[in-house]
Amino acid sequence: MVGTEYVPMTPKAEKEIWSAEVNGKSVEELITSNAILLDVLRDQVGTLGVKRGCDLGTCGCCTVIIDGDARLSCLCLAGQVSGSEITTVEGLSQGAHLAPIQTCFAEHGGSQCGFCTPGFLLSAQALLTENDSPTDEEITCAIEGNLCRCTGYQQIVDSIKAAAEIHRGESEPVQPASNPHPNPHPDGPDEPSMPPGHAR
Amino acid sequence: MSAGYRQQPNSARKDGKRVAGKQVFPPPGSGGSKPVMKERDLNFIPESVGGNEPQPAGSHIHDRIRTGTVVGKPLPLVDSNAKVTGQAWYGDDVRLANETIGKILRSPHHYAKIISIDTSKVESLPGVIAVATGADSPNSFGVLPVTKDEHAMAVEKVRHMGDLVACVSAVDEATAIEALGLFEIEWEILEPVFDPKKGLEDADEPIHWRGKYHLAKTNVQKRVFQEFGDRSLVENPYSSSHGKWTMAGVHHGFTEPHAVVAHWDPNGRLQLYTPQQVPHYTHRALSTVLDVPMHQINVIRTFVGGGFGGKSDPFPHEMCAAILARKSGRPVRITFDREEVYWINRGRHPSNIEVKMAADDEGRISGFDIDALIDGGGFASFGHVTSYYNGVLATAPYELGSFHYTGARVWTNKPASGAMRGHGAVNTRCAVEVGLDEMAEQMNVDPIDLRLANLLPPHSRTITGFRITSNGMREALERVREGSDWDNKFRKLPLGKGIGIGCGFFISGSGLPIHWDPNRFPHATVHIQVDMDGGVTVHTGAADIGQGSTTAVAQVISEVLALPIEMIHVRSHESDTSPVDLGSYSSRVTFMNANAAIRAALEIRDKLLNAACDILGYHPNSLVINDRRIYYKHDPAIGVSYLQALHKAQEDKGALISSGSYRSPPMGGVHKGAAAGLAPAYSFSAYVAEVDVDIELGLIKCTNVWAAHDCGKALNPLAVKGQIIGSCHMGLGQVLSEKMVYGRTGHLQNPNLLEYKIPSIHEMPHVEPIIVESSDPEGPFGAKEAGEGPLLPVLPAVVNAVYDAIGIRYNDLPLTPDVVFKGVEKKRKKLKLEDATELPSPRFTHGPKSIELQKALVKRSEEHKKRDLARQTTEDTSPYVNGVLFGFDPNIPLEDQVDGWRMATEPDPEQLAELGLAGKAWLKKEQRHMGGEN
Repeated sequence: MVGTEYVPMTPKAEKEIWSAEVNGKSVEELITSNAILLDVLRDQVGTLGVKRGCDLGTCGCCTVIIDGDARLSCLCLAGQVSGSEITTVEGLSQGAHLAPIQTCFAEHGGSQCGFCTPGFLLSAQALLTENDSPTDEEITCAIEGNLCRCTGYQQIVDSIKAAAEIHRGESEPVQPASNPHPNPHPDGPDEPSMPPGHAR
Repeated sequence: MSAGYRQQPNSARKDGKRVAGKQVFPPPGSGGSKPVMKERDLNFIPESVGGNEPQPAGSHIHDRIRTGTVVGKPLPLVDSNAKVTGQAWYGDDVRLANETIGKILRSPHHYAKIISIDTSKVESLPGVIAVATGADSPNSFGVLPVTKDEHAMAVEKVRHMGDLVACVSAVDEATAIEALGLFEIEWEILEPVFDPKKGLEDADEPIHWRGKYHLAKTNVQKRVFQEFGDRSLVENPYSSSHGKWTMAGVHHGFTEPHAVVAHWDPNGRLQLYTPQQVPHYTHRALSTVLDVPMHQINVIRTFVGGGFGGKSDPFPHEMCAAILARKSGRPVRITFDREEVYWINRGRHPSNIEVKMAADDEGRISGFDIDALIDGGGFASFGHVTSYYNGVLATAPYELGSFHYTGARVWTNKPASGAMRGHGAVNTRCAVEVGLDEMAEQMNVDPIDLRLANLLPPHSRTITGFRITSNGMREALERVREGSDWDNKFRKLPLGKGIGIGCGFFISGSGLPIHWDPNRFPHATVHIQVDMDGGVTVHTGAADIGQGSTTAVAQVISEVLALPIEMIHVRSHESDTSPVDLGSYSSRVTFMNANAAIRAALEIRDKLLNAACDILGYHPNSLVINDRRIYYKHDPAIGVSYLQALHKAQEDKGALISSGSYRSPPMGGVHKGAAAGLAPAYSFSAYVAEVDVDIELGLIKCTNVWAAHDCGKALNPLAVKGQIIGSCHMGLGQVLSEKMVYGRTGHLQNPNLLEYKIPSIHEMPHVEPIIVESSDPEGPFGAKEAGEGPLLPVLPAVVNAVYDAIGIRYNDLPLTPDVVFKGVEKKRKKLKLEDATELPSPRFTHGPKSIELQKALVKRSEEHKKRDLARQTTEDTSPYVNGVLFGFDPNIPLEDQVDGWRMATEPDPEQLAELGLAGKAWLKKEQRHMGGEN
């Protein structure tokens, strides 16, 4: 924004009651009728995992799943999706148990700075829910609307492929999914049953 | 054997089975959740101390403390679970009670004086909480102490469109935005400068005024001249190249826009939350601008949504938030929209670079002559350093007969340029590597062989006196050559397909801290605290910006203490609790901070071993530390658990604490600017890129990159590969699509991610990351940087590949389809061809002379390979300086043995006439030498 001639981005509008099911919970908020979904989710519902990167629909950081489809919440009026089921990154995990896509992003380097990660996770999750054996081309198309500046996408694709394997039941979820709190005990064994390898 | 300390005896059985009870987790002394200790992983313990890890570079000082726990193993980042669950808190996610929203009024003019600002209407708008203007922040600041030329908000004049004029905080965003329209400002428009060449000339009103150090009345912020070596060598070259480059400015394009939250707590201390790469410099700047002692400010680094250099300046909006919060007594949150991110910029400098180089008939590089004129935009930022880096970071990895550099950084009325991944080195590196390719073409030799025959060996000195330690350049070149099947592809692919090579060289931590301190403060300090629970709390100021510095610190401590990495808890967010670390810039964190962490961990280790010695009666040197247990090395059954040793060590003292620090050793020459580019170690890289060029559309598609990077030792191969691939992404953006477009009026045309084209997944080639490990003697476990260096070779590799594909050398970056198409048309018309698809592909045209030279180069590189191997280990420790290739004796100062060996930091009067581009800055005098007024 440059200059003194401003058009207020969000002119004062009528208030209305908006309701939706966000991450499995019914929410009801008093919003202005022209409110953007991204703003409602971040500022009112409090799902701060939805990220604002560009406000123009170019970066994909604000991707959420609306009734099964990955959509950009910055290009969506809240009123348009009133009554919908909305999943944000907070809704991917079951309590402390992370979804396969989440653990795979951690394990395979799909997340570096992590800012674009929620968007990628939701784009990928929407793909995997529909199709648990996506081709390279399908993965590419699913995340083409998401920009990542850190990873160069390669490890993100690796992560999605690994998650697809878990979805297909071909591989076991990695440790953190089944045991989110590994809690290594500070004390080792008193007397090891076998001599471990050691320096001579 | 002592029974040691037990909190709850008999709660677990000797056979490791749990006893039913209330406790979910077994108590200390019970054998832990895993009854059998993990074996030492011999594959990750070096040969020299009994393991299986091969050590081609010889033994390392940190070998003895390797426990095979985590170093060298691919690990997820320790904070990745926070990131994949959306719990990582970035700047805009900090929401304090009673917060207000701040907005910034930005200049609509490129260059103007502010005659008056009337804020009365703003103040009377209901909902406005506080208003501030330049009058509230008279103190200047800047990241470098020598160039403090920024203010929180414009004082007297604005210097570029989007420069900060005033700010306001209000109860909500809509009100704050409305308030911005109510400022009444009277301007006096000044004549702006956009072309850096114009900036070299005297102006009526220079953008900044440096008093007696100001260069005449120009807009030159910094000029550099360096000349080293024997200039007579470049006369009568066997082959030469002269590249005239125009490189567009590029932006970091991190996904998180800047955001800041400021709050003055009830005790009157400032709590500032900001995604910063270098919180410490922000801390200093805040203290200066706000007139508050540093200890009354707590800078809290939030998670950083990408930095790449773009979040490494102290920023004016951080000051604005603090000023507004101080005025109103309420927390202020300012979040940028994407457009504002481009107005604050600090991206890579738009540059005009000329590189002349020459080679002799033995294929030796007789000289580089680099001339870089860089466009700094409205402020100095890191520009002082950038001006040097554009030249001095081109002095390796090759042995040079001479080196001549003139550089100038010019203020213009554009958003300020600053540091960006590969700071200052990227553009010249591209020009130099393409020049080498052109000389190889003229000599009809293979460009990889030309490079291999001209490399500086490990443990040597560059022509300007940089100390090279480990050097994996040769291995990197050899491995990409093999990986890409180079010998079967280069100059053999059909028209439109090409393959190209590029190399890189980058610092691993700036040897001179930005705030030079006579107290010999360390560059990095790490504190460790281990209390009776056994968890290890680490305090460090290192800023994790996604590169994984927190993970690296946790890893090295985990490795030294042989504890699972889950037991290491790194606290790095607050300046209140973190010892000073200079921040995440110049690829310093892994090298310096991990070194400091190792030292701190060693102190804890010693305490544990001494305690174990007290219990067991064996000398600490005969004890082995492994997976939560310390035992006698000749009989592993004799030992104590980690907790037993810890509790013994805590007797009468309480929690174990230790502090480790790192400071780079004294290095380098004494000439002016000798410290710029000095680093305790350097990284090397070689990339081969393969491209498809659509001749009719001018569209370049990079299909494959083989990327070999010498990072010394990959502490975490997963993270290193991520850095390499990510660097390729960013470099490809710069070479193919990214460009900050300034229109005819100097207006930035594309401040958004729609028109500023960051490569999407469709544009990404397949990248084959190849990790080269040269084991740096001073690096933590041998590690060097992997964050910035990997970006450098991408650009020239692609440009050279495009030449191999269509036979046209481009010197304008980025190579967008219009640029490529113009080049194709020009060549088509020149060759009088009907159709561009008839363009000839470049091929080797060997003659007897070139075959002989090629053979000589191969022979020389084979000899040098042996030389390098001997120097890499301790077999050959004789000194080696740049110039030995030309037959000079490394033991005698070069100026004593070579007539005409020059070392100059200012041009001779007779040289002035021949200086081009940036050299023109030397035609002007500083005010103090002009006589009269200052």
